[in-house]
Amino acid sequence: MKKFILTLLFILTLFPSLSFAAGQSATIHVSGLVCDFCARAVEKVFGKEESIQTVKVDLDAKIIVLSFKDKQNMDDLKITDLITKAGYKVVSIAREKDTK
Amino acid sequence: MRSLIAIMAGIAILSINHTAYARPMSYPDGWAAMIMNDGDSNSINLQYSPSALYSVGVTGEYQRADKIKLHVMQINVLAKRWNNPNSQGNFYIESGVGITDKNDHIHPAAFTGITTDWEDRRLLISYRNRLAVGQDTGEDFIQWGRVGIAPYIGDYGDLHTWMMIEVRHSPENQNPVTVTPLIRLFKDTNMIEAGISSHGKVMFNMMKQF
Repeated sequence: MKKFILTLLFILTLFPSLSFAAGQSATIHVSGLVCDFCARAVEKVFGKEESIQTVKVDLDAKIIVLSFKDKQNMDDLKITDLITKAGYKVVSIAREKDTK
Repeated sequence: MRSLIAIMAGIAILSINHTAYARPMSYPDGWAAMIMNDGDSNSINLQYSPSALYSVGVTGEYQRADKIKLHVMQINVLAKRWNNPNSQGNFYIESGVGITDKNDHIHPAAFTGITTDWEDRRLLISYRNRLAVGQDTGEDFIQWGRVGIAPYIGDYGDLHTWMMIEVRHSPENQNPVTVTPLIRLFKDTNMIEAGISSHGKVMFNMMKQF
């Protein structure tokens, strides 16, 4: 039994997508976010994208947190393009796995 | 000549009125509707922003003193934006054409001007000017500035409050300088402004973005 559990854990380690039901998220640090209208612009632009689950804007930290739907994602180039089109400047993009 | 100047002044005031109280464009693929009222006029404006770089709009206004109706189509271009870590600056160019209607007499009119602003979450500074030209030979120049401070910094979605002072300089007018202390409240995509000018006139504006 112990062997079986260890084998299972090993397989899950090799294929992380099997162990997480939810999608990934990206945290984007942005310059120029100073007001609710700015936040609204970002929400509206990303809200139209099929791969986006939720958009959260933190004006204090100047970050946008994107959560993606299951098995969906968006590359950095696309994220940068959308934020630029909304009128703002991307400083950095960090990826993380959403384990919830 | 006086009526022409009045018409030009009306156009210039109109072009200021419908954009002076907020940025002259909405977010990409967004609409903005505004209603403005002050001691001289009542106006309504609707604009659409296909992108973050420009917007197009229409405005109707009634100038009570001279009984002038104004109808204007306008384009606003974001020529430059400075996205800083904790602030934002903008430089806009605004131009428009339209007609005036007084006693069923229609005259063409046009205007152009610039707007520049800088703001962070605590302070706001802006400057705007307009040169309006009518059908004949008249022209009118108005410049306008605002300084604002937020007494507290709210989170996204909170009710935001700004205390502001607006100064309008109309060199052609008998009383060229008007100072208006005002309060701006906005929540989500709704904004209200109210103030009383140094000439004792009430200002009341509303804007909704959608």
